[in-house]
Amino acid sequence: MQHNVIALLKELRAYALQKGLQAAIYYHEEESYLMRFANSAISLNTNEHLVRFQISVFEGNKRADYLTIADPAQIEPIKRGIDTAAEMAGLAEPLSYTPTIPLYEEDVIDMRAFDPFLASTTNAERLEFFNALARGLESEDLKLSGVFSNGITTTAQISTRSEHTQYFACTDAAITAVLSHQTLKWEVNALQSAQAKTDLDPERLRSELAFLVRQYSEQPAVQLPLGKYTVVFGAAAVGDIVDMFNWYGPNGGMMKRGYSFLSEEQLGQQVFSPQFTLVDDPRRLETYPVTRDLMGKRREPFPLFEKGVFKACFWEQDDADEFGAEPTGHTVYHNNFVLAGGDEPAANLEELAALPRDEDILYIPYLHYMNVVNPTAGMFTGSSRFGALLLRKDGTISVPYNVRVTQTFEELFGERLAWLSREQVAHNTSHSYGLRNPRAVVVPRFTCVKDVEISHSNSSY
Amino acid sequence: MKQDLKKHIDNLMARGATYVDARWYPYEETNSLLMWNGNLKDLSASSQSGVGVRVLYRGAWGFSAASSLEDPAAIFDKALDNARTAAERVDFPVRLAEKDVYQASFTSPNLIDPFTVPLTEKLEFLRMMDAKLNQPGVAQRVAALDFVKKQIIFLDSEGSEIEKTIIDVFPSFQVMGIDKDGEMQARKYKSARHGSTRGWESLDPAYFSSTAERLVRELNQLLVAENCPKDVRSVILLPGIMFLQTHETIGHPLELDRILGYELAFAGGSFVRLEDFGRLRYGSEKLTVRADATLENSPGSFGFDDDGVPAQNNLLIDKGILVGAITGRQMVEEANARARRQIFSGSSGANRATAFYRVPIERMTNINVDPGTDGSLEDIVRGTERGVILDGDKSWSIGSNREQFHFATDIGWLVEDGEVKGVLKNTTYKGDTLKFYNSLSAVGDERTWEVMYVDNCGKGQPNQIMQLGHGVPACRFDNVTVGE
Repeated sequence: MQHNVIALLKELRAYALQKGLQAAIYYHEEESYLMRFANSAISLNTNEHLVRFQISVFEGNKRADYLTIADPAQIEPIKRGIDTAAEMAGLAEPLSYTPTIPLYEEDVIDMRAFDPFLASTTNAERLEFFNALARGLESEDLKLSGVFSNGITTTAQISTRSEHTQYFACTDAAITAVLSHQTLKWEVNALQSAQAKTDLDPERLRSELAFLVRQYSEQPAVQLPLGKYTVVFGAAAVGDIVDMFNWYGPNGGMMKRGYSFLSEEQLGQQVFSPQFTLVDDPRRLETYPVTRDLMGKRREPFPLFEKGVFKACFWEQDDADEFGAEPTGHTVYHNNFVLAGGDEPAANLEELAALPRDEDILYIPYLHYMNVVNPTAGMFTGSSRFGALLLRKDGTISVPYNVRVTQTFEELFGERLAWLSREQVAHNTSHSYGLRNPRAVVVPRFTCVKDVEISHSNSSY
Repeated sequence: MKQDLKKHIDNLMARGATYVDARWYPYEETNSLLMWNGNLKDLSASSQSGVGVRVLYRGAWGFSAASSLEDPAAIFDKALDNARTAAERVDFPVRLAEKDVYQASFTSPNLIDPFTVPLTEKLEFLRMMDAKLNQPGVAQRVAALDFVKKQIIFLDSEGSEIEKTIIDVFPSFQVMGIDKDGEMQARKYKSARHGSTRGWESLDPAYFSSTAERLVRELNQLLVAENCPKDVRSVILLPGIMFLQTHETIGHPLELDRILGYELAFAGGSFVRLEDFGRLRYGSEKLTVRADATLENSPGSFGFDDDGVPAQNNLLIDKGILVGAITGRQMVEEANARARRQIFSGSSGANRATAFYRVPIERMTNINVDPGTDGSLEDIVRGTERGVILDGDKSWSIGSNREQFHFATDIGWLVEDGEVKGVLKNTTYKGDTLKFYNSLSAVGDERTWEVMYVDNCGKGQPNQIMQLGHGVPACRFDNVTVGE
């Protein structure tokens, strides 16, 4: 298939050159499958096959874009898209800087993150996966919800600056399984992210769900008093926090514009705990990486924080052009963030619950509907959901009603950061907004933070 | 093409499907312009076309979509195949509420199609907006115009054939500055809807000019303002935040699919139970809320939903009592059956998809709070002993069942003894949904009522970003925690 895509891009490039244009052409193809469960039934089973083209035309310091969902077999409408972008670029307001046109210096074909076995997953296999993870756990009161989303994403690029093309393909799957009590209204979940079929493990999900169901069914529910708690965050909570952290943090453009909680003066300084090491690492296949960015720059491991020291911020091309900075290979559909693990050996929830402890520990696996309250302060808020537990110091377990956490990133990753688990997991952060863009963040399975402020506590489920 | 689609619909019915519909988008076009600090960062256009097919087979849904119409039979076959798999795990077989069959069309009201307006004229408008925002104290300024035009042809196996042409214009702008403490402060505005149409003519330069001047003035006040105190006070929500309060804590919890548990894997559930309809005191007697898909100048009006049900104006909350929900054909049947009583007499016409490649789900239309009888904003302020006036959506975070919330706003004004005492920054408020609406003590009259739009409402899997509206007045709530 890659030959057809590359041939198509070359034909479109030839058309742009024939018109005397400077242009970049981006190809995006998705084959998406989604089986959605609700109330222990399949509520929706869907698939979409969509091919998108983005055409950017440059005229000195002017730029315009045309995007289309098109049939690649019909090239004329795509060529008309090039004409439209060219017409708009001619009329565009000049930028105060000259935007860089991508230069692809060699042909690249990168299929590292493509697994043919995951790519060929069938409806029957998706259904059997869910049947397996829920086996013996559903009842009249306890209903299964969830989603099995998987797909193939193919991207490719060419520009008028060279004949070379870049071609990438990856496979992905994201599974969410939820068991919710029909009358008591509690809900527990388990998540899995996959890049290859061998990553799929319904038994692990079943085991996590079974443990949580047992606690929620047998242990007392409590409304937590407001105040400070030692909190162990699960991978989903920390993965989403890290995702948000990177948008408002070590992002060169956001920093220059004043939207970041970090500043250039902090570069080289100890900003967070020595336990905090964060790298953008395109070697980690579970984060669906590519070897080159959309500008043709090679993607390499890029340390953002090493042992708490702020090492570097990343620059997308357009921000770098505007502010005169050096781009860092981060003009991408998504980054590949990896938060280093620590020394704590607990590798699953049962092991966490069995750890000796001299204080109560609040386990929050998942934060719902996070948002940034104050970007400069790096303050965010979100509510617990899905399977929180209060691990009491006497060894017993209670089930807390949902609570709200409103904290700053510094409060989480600074001196209050107590420990990180050794084992890391990929937390899938794909949103499926618009085009398919599989994303995942690798984080420790558990992250323990002291003195986390609980600012709101529900009085029931 | 229509005949071809009808033929395929008939074919699937003959193969055992109990319902089939097809949504064919001959075109959907967008045009976006975004100017950031005078730089035209985004000048783009887009187009897409395709067909989405929904099939009901043995009580289960299957869906398939493609942009290529070379082989429509393959799309229909795939949808049926997906439904067959879904039929292997059915809990409550899908039934669709009765509806009339329509041969109809709808065009959203507009005088000037924005896609006929020359790009130079759009750029001139954008430059005007940018120049108004380029003032002392403003470190970052963004002005944006987004235009949408789409044609949707809906065909179903019951004989409906509906053609819709929708045009919308979404203007917005914001200014940001760094305050005396080095913190970022911002004022932003998504234009309220004025007039009765949705085309290019809805952009009123004089209105934008005066609004831009006000926002810049307020930003400069924010840059030297004091922090919002941590306190328990009355809050007076202006339409620029009341729309989002309504959206998050009335609109979403009253989506019937959420109430029935269909969103538990992602967006969340609802604290509302089926037994609450007709009984639950959602708010004080001053609270009356409706889902009005007939409001002509709002993106929450669309003629017919994607079940082919006509737009309606229905009460959701009547003088504080919960009476209605946001519904489509499937959910009302299931809700009535589960409740073992007839709560809903039919679909409220709110099942919508954002694109040909997404399946329709319950979406808000225009969820409006009726204006009240407590006068103007000045009247409400005069009657407030200790309060904070709040405006502008800065951040929002809501519990998974919509039972509690935390909002931050762009700006606040301290109110003491019926008088405005000054501007506050870093304003936040939080509460429990039912307690909050039952503390509603004043609702402004028509003079305070504005129609705001939402262009980024996310819901569903695969996720869908929907456009809709909220007509809301200024409202006062008592005993609210602020400043946390």
